[in-house]
Amino acid sequence: MPITTQRDRLVFFHDVDVIDRAPGALGRLAEEFEVTVPAYPGFEGQFDVLDRGWEGWESAADLAHHIRRSERWMSGDPVHLVGAGFGGWVALELALLAPERLASLVLVAPYGVKLFSRMDRDFEDVLLLDADEQITLGWADPDRCHGLRMPGYPADLSDEENEVAFAERETIARYAWKPFMHSRQLTRWVHTIDVPTLVVAGDADRLLHAGHSRLLAERLPRATYVEIPDAGHYPYLEQPELFHDALGDFYAQVKGA
Amino acid sequence: MHLYHFSEMPYPYVPPEAEEAHGGLKYFLPNRYYDPVRGHDLYQRYLDEYELADELGFNLMVNEHHQSAATLHVSATLSAAAVISRTRHGRVLVLGTPLPHRSNPVRVAEEIAFLDNLSGGRINCGFVRGVQGETYPSNENPARNMDMFFEAHDLIREAWLQRDIFNWEGEHYQYRYVSVWPRPYQQPMPPIWVSGTTQRLVEWTAEHGYTLCNLLGAYDDTANSFRLYRRAAMAAGLAEPGPDNFAYLSLCHVAETEEKAREIGRKLLFYLKAGKQRLGAAIPPGYSSPAAAVAAMRGTLGAVRKHSFEELIEEGIALVGTPDQVAAKITALYERTGVGHLILMNQAGEMTSNEVRDSLLLLHKEVMPQVADLGRDWKEDDTSWRVDNDDQPVTPVLASAVS
Repeated sequence: MPITTQRDRLVFFHDVDVIDRAPGALGRLAEEFEVTVPAYPGFEGQFDVLDRGWEGWESAADLAHHIRRSERWMSGDPVHLVGAGFGGWVALELALLAPERLASLVLVAPYGVKLFSRMDRDFEDVLLLDADEQITLGWADPDRCHGLRMPGYPADLSDEENEVAFAERETIARYAWKPFMHSRQLTRWVHTIDVPTLVVAGDADRLLHAGHSRLLAERLPRATYVEIPDAGHYPYLEQPELFHDALGDFYAQVKGA
Repeated sequence: MHLYHFSEMPYPYVPPEAEEAHGGLKYFLPNRYYDPVRGHDLYQRYLDEYELADELGFNLMVNEHHQSAATLHVSATLSAAAVISRTRHGRVLVLGTPLPHRSNPVRVAEEIAFLDNLSGGRINCGFVRGVQGETYPSNENPARNMDMFFEAHDLIREAWLQRDIFNWEGEHYQYRYVSVWPRPYQQPMPPIWVSGTTQRLVEWTAEHGYTLCNLLGAYDDTANSFRLYRRAAMAAGLAEPGPDNFAYLSLCHVAETEEKAREIGRKLLFYLKAGKQRLGAAIPPGYSSPAAAVAAMRGTLGAVRKHSFEELIEEGIALVGTPDQVAAKITALYERTGVGHLILMNQAGEMTSNEVRDSLLLLHKEVMPQVADLGRDWKEDDTSWRVDNDDQPVTPVLASAVS
């Protein structure tokens, strides 16, 4: 595998309900960066790994600890880290654990931090919603939906494919059941993440409480916030050009700083 | 054959349009549809029926569900306390406490011990995983459900067996000082019952010598489940399990004529209404193995819910008919499975109290005498399910039961 030494490394932590390893925006970023998309235990066929010890993990923080120990890019030059949805939560945990490894941080509508009151629902229940509901809430245009991994979706999945989908839902439950999709510890310490940060959200993302990503950006000491029009929870898939432009501006600022 | 009276204590007054709008009567139904005055009357009426059943020689079963108009039992131990105070003779089967959905197993150990003392040892103590949809009211992690069940059980058992204060630092439960007061009246502990059909749970129940209960399974599937139990028990070095190790729950209504029994008994189908739950509620993530989850999605598991009323009667899952017809079915159930405890769901939905009472009286007068001796001398019976007579392989997937 050729390593282009001139290019910085960009690591993309994917979401867990939608996984697309070759999304349009990442395709363009790959022209400028050496892009890595790490696999998580419990997804994409990674079940019989680590002697199934990952089944005892209880939070995205466990996954961040694992990544810190196992990924080769955790040594060498700092990396540009991008995390989307659940992957944003993992990225936040890694930023707390090993801030020296991050050249910058991009968070795309991240889970992980509880910002609203106890009777507010910060995150829609993606473990309960049916596929049609999740598509309606997660995409500005439901017709653009792709990469969604749910049992029974699409309806013609084979039994084997459905078993994998059920197993992945189980993994999400292990990481994120209670508190749902967030960590109280991360919420307490998120304001200490002193890394150049861009928070990106689609203007039609209804999987998160309205204003969640904007409010999170205000909590982070070095963050700016960009909203992508006509995009839901996955702006890198729905509006790859606009998403790429937003990151391009951000990286120009980071490098110019 | 030991007979048990059981009612889920339903609240039958939810408007159909509300039921439709909220995907059924369970878990996600707003409580604005509950009328406390009517609810009070229902509780009294259902407890009156338990009282009558006790006077007629039945044992009594209570359970619990949550956020459900299908069941107003909110705590099996609370319901048991109410039933104990109204009754004198029958055993009170708590089936059961959903251990993973109770955050405090030590409290469960205390409550069961309290009930056992209060009743002078009338308690049969059931432990269950909790049905799938209850995951949402309890908010306990479905992916940890089975492990929590086993650890909670282990802790409760120690709480009953230990005679000194002990420490428990487990995976799911942590206590630094445990010594429950009171201890159970039945020493060292009440009979333990478990309901379920998954292979791991059946084998675990067998290895502990607990009573295994099948809920509404086809007789062949039930027999298979019990055969798996017998083999696991023998492999664990236990004596051959007899009828006392097995229980079965059926729907039940008897009347003087078959026509009348069917007309009224049809109301029992209320119990099998699944509602239009989301997939995530019907099969919470990690509650079942991926293979079992796919089977449930395909409708193989829990197939009973799709059977017609006539099929349910023919199969004996609904014991509906004249006393002689029902007695014959119970005899067939015993001969097929070797079960020794039969729980009768004698009430569901809009079935009136008079209809329940008439059936209970007829069961007492004409069915009970015909089935009372079933299984009493089981070692003398010529049965297919005795270990020595069973040379067929056991099918590991046990598909038809409700849970």
